[in-house]
Amino acid sequence: MSAVLGSGAVVLGLVASLLGIVTIGFGLRRRDTRLLSAGRTYAWVVLAAALMATGAMELALLRHDFTLKYVADNGSRSTPLLFTTTGMWSALEGSILLWALVLSGYLTVMVRHFRDRVADPLVGWATLTVFVVSAFFFGLMAGPANPFRLVSGATPSDGPGPNPLLQNHPLVAFHPPLLYLGYVGFTIPFAFAVAALVTGRLGEGWLVETRRWTLFAWGFLTLGIVLGAWWSYEVLGWGGYWAWDPVENASFIPWLTATAYVHSVMVQERRGMLRIWNLSLLLATFSLTILGTFLTRSGVLDSVHAFTESTIGPLILGFFGLIVAVSIVLIGWRADRLRSPGTIDSPASREGAFLANNVLFAAFAFIVLLGTVFPLLAEAINGDRISVGGPYFNRMTGPVGFTLLFLMAIAPALPWRKASGELLSKRLIWPAWSAAGVVALCALAGLRGFVPLLAFALGGFAGGAAVRQLVLSARRQGWRGLVGRANGGMIVHLGVVLVAVAFAASHAYAHSKEFTLRPGQSAELAGHHVTYLDTRTEQQRNKTSISARVRVDGGKVYAPALQRFPFATQAIGSPSVKTGWRDDVYLTLVSAPDATTGETTAVIGVLIQPMMMWLWLGGGLMGVGTFLAAWPGRRRRLPTAPASEPVQELAGVRS
Amino acid sequence: MTRLRLSWLGALAVLVVALTIGSHGAGKPETPTRRAMRLAADFRCPTCRDLSAAQSDAETAKTMRARILDLVRQGRTDRAIRAEIVSRYGSDILLKPPASGVAGLVWALPVAAFVVAVAGLGFAFRRWRSRSTRSPTDDDRRLVEAALR
Amino acid sequence: MTSPIDARDLPTRRRTGVWVAVVIATVMVAFVAVLATRPSAADRQAESPLLGRPAPALIGTAVDGSKVDVSSLRGKFVLVNFFATWCVPCLQEHPELVRFAQRHQASGDATVVGVVFNDSMSSVRKYVSDKGVIWPVVSDPGGNIAFDYGVRGPPESFLIDRAGNVVSKIIGTVRADALDRLISQAKARGL
Repeated sequence: MSAVLGSGAVVLGLVASLLGIVTIGFGLRRRDTRLLSAGRTYAWVVLAAALMATGAMELALLRHDFTLKYVADNGSRSTPLLFTTTGMWSALEGSILLWALVLSGYLTVMVRHFRDRVADPLVGWATLTVFVVSAFFFGLMAGPANPFRLVSGATPSDGPGPNPLLQNHPLVAFHPPLLYLGYVGFTIPFAFAVAALVTGRLGEGWLVETRRWTLFAWGFLTLGIVLGAWWSYEVLGWGGYWAWDPVENASFIPWLTATAYVHSVMVQERRGMLRIWNLSLLLATFSLTILGTFLTRSGVLDSVHAFTESTIGPLILGFFGLIVAVSIVLIGWRADRLRSPGTIDSPASREGAFLANNVLFAAFAFIVLLGTVFPLLAEAINGDRISVGGPYFNRMTGPVGFTLLFLMAIAPALPWRKASGELLSKRLIWPAWSAAGVVALCALAGLRGFVPLLAFALGGFAGGAAVRQLVLSARRQGWRGLVGRANGGMIVHLGVVLVAVAFAASHAYAHSKEFTLRPGQSAELAGHHVTYLDTRTEQQRNKTSISARVRVDGGKVYAPALQRFPFATQAIGSPSVKTGWRDDVYLTLVSAPDATTGETTAVIGVLIQPMMMWLWLGGGLMGVGTFLAAWPGRRRRLPTAPASEPVQELAGVRS
Repeated sequence: MTRLRLSWLGALAVLVVALTIGSHGAGKPETPTRRAMRLAADFRCPTCRDLSAAQSDAETAKTMRARILDLVRQGRTDRAIRAEIVSRYGSDILLKPPASGVAGLVWALPVAAFVVAVAGLGFAFRRWRSRSTRSPTDDDRRLVEAALR
Repeated sequence: MTSPIDARDLPTRRRTGVWVAVVIATVMVAFVAVLATRPSAADRQAESPLLGRPAPALIGTAVDGSKVDVSSLRGKFVLVNFFATWCVPCLQEHPELVRFAQRHQASGDATVVGVVFNDSMSSVRKYVSDKGVIWPVVSDPGGNIAFDYGVRGPPESFLIDRAGNVVSKIIGTVRADALDRLISQAKARGL
């Protein structure tokens, strides 16, 4: 029953998307507002279809309907309710379904938001583009990635459940949806960029329309990435949060280009410049989300997210190629309309800084992309098998990151058009002292190492600059000085500084050791005291859990564990963490006492990870800052449209 | 202004001194265990995707760490130890690709891109500056006059 | 209205635009072509640096307590098979290994030596007795044999020729026919 309902809903979504394309296409061609309005209603049908399909899938999972292959592969009677529900996005087909759901939601909001401008070809083309993307994803589900495929042969009585790593922590309910809200959110600004190129209306109108969309999508993507790092830390048991894993990179690369974009648009809004940069960054961001999906889902690179190999890889890759081709052709076609009316007068100006910002972020994205796909390319060229791992990325992106921190410090102090040395030196003296102060304190506290200290210095510099802006703004406008684009942006910068500093600290000052302890025995590491108490075995519905009770610093008892799931190949380690302001004590159970051999010692892994709390706080601050940045400020007078904007199409619309 | 300048000098002085102090004094002699961990961080844990042999708790990673410690205690050089492990697992056990051959591209390309980017920026700035300082030619004056008529 | 200054630049601007677009397009096409023709990660066979070189020493204790030394098997082809009881492909390849071992038991020209990869000896003992494994299964506490052979994960098998050199490495499940082919190819080369 669920299969029929679900498959039907998928087909409905596909058909509605296609009809939407056709109707709006004709409506644009004939300038017929009736057709354009009709096209809009298909968005609601697509949403209904996505909701129905999602409902059918969840119903099947919750009722343990093992006639569905997806449920048979990913569901289990013994999985707790929460993880059964989140099981919807625990594997390939379900995550495509989630994507389609989020996309249809965004499509509907967009259609409703622009309902007064149905006759505007810009809105029409944008809606058409989103319908095309929606048709692709529904098409994938109707074809090779069908979540409602039936089991061939006998219906199994039970299933293996989701991957054990996805049953360990409630975060699995938040990380994928938030990430997708970000990823998919970029479709709308992308659609408007395409529409602007197609209609030739490349003035600043389309930018302003989509500014808030882009900000929200960026914010969700940021939160999604931070939650992914948190999940990695809390669940995977290796004590780290960022492994430069191909899938982590796949979400990070579009984030980099999107960050460049949200900065660079300010130059276009104010001075009409850097248009080609902005269009390219936006088109690149969306293309990179599709490429990222390909890298994650096609099995071309191994990862904890690469659930299964599938034929949908070439299809996604083809879609990516199509998007890139269309983007290049469109920009090439409209190149003459993208001349800027102004020029950058001086490199030492806000515009110059934003241009440098674009270049640096593009370099960052290039490095991460190159490192991620290089093993494939090298193998293609001469069969060499090489790995590109954490050390490469840290070494190559380190300098770029440092330069970006420096830029983050001076850019808010730079005026538009041209800066004088005096002005800069006056504005940056307090941040400079905060940098010096931070490093002095750290050196006095005994911290050593040039690279981390440099990171702290730059963090102090950038943090000081951000705080200075906020203080000035609050002095002028009271509480309103903390909201709005510029001020929210400064809060986001503070969050980035915290993240950068914590990243540097955790790579330089972590201590780890494994201790073999008898019950009651203690050990010391980096100023923390751990005492092994005993081991307990617990049988739960979906797993058997052996946990070692360890008292940390004479206080609470923590329980790192080894968990064995019935259908999994090996025991999964489950870490236990004592969080503190200065550092975390990260405990893992490396090996439990073996009752069969009479061994009573347990091997406890202890990792002292500095400044983790600051990392999460920084991430949270970035989210808060984004929210504040989106707060509607006082209505600002829009800058006059630059001279090259073509005269807008009027009255050619039949009603 | 002099007070500002002094303040800057002061800040920079504190910064440089602190950084200098901070860069030295980390000279704890490297014990064999530390050296083994440092070397292990350059190798991929054989059964993991991205973790290094120093980070992972997998059995194969533990074996690798133990063997590296053995080799360190035998007095082998860093290069000899790396070669020994590569001779068993193949060159893709290294987390950092070698700097020669096709793999060298992954190091060279970003540097090349950086050089191109900086050159491009420099070129663009120079072109903009020259454009903004160009003065109108006679052709331009005639055009303006014709338009104003 | 275009000014003379900009009009001079316009054709150049469009031309550079076209060139940049062509370059980017070519790069993208090459990139997509490469990505599209990659086999998925699971299918890729790794080269081993051990190929053509003397096989690393394999000395250990079998499950039944007997001592095993692969160098004593010189003169025969030896298939060293790394496996684990928790490894599903290993279970799948077991019948093929049995077939291979039985075929060559009579002629005595090839034999199998199993090595335990990362598993508990109690599970392995149970496996050996349940499945009736007819070749020696060597335990590898500490994982040193796996390290010497550069094993990433089970199942991995190494075919050693009669002189004691590694002839081929197979990642993933083996098939008896494929192994026989490898042996006859090696024999034809005089190994």
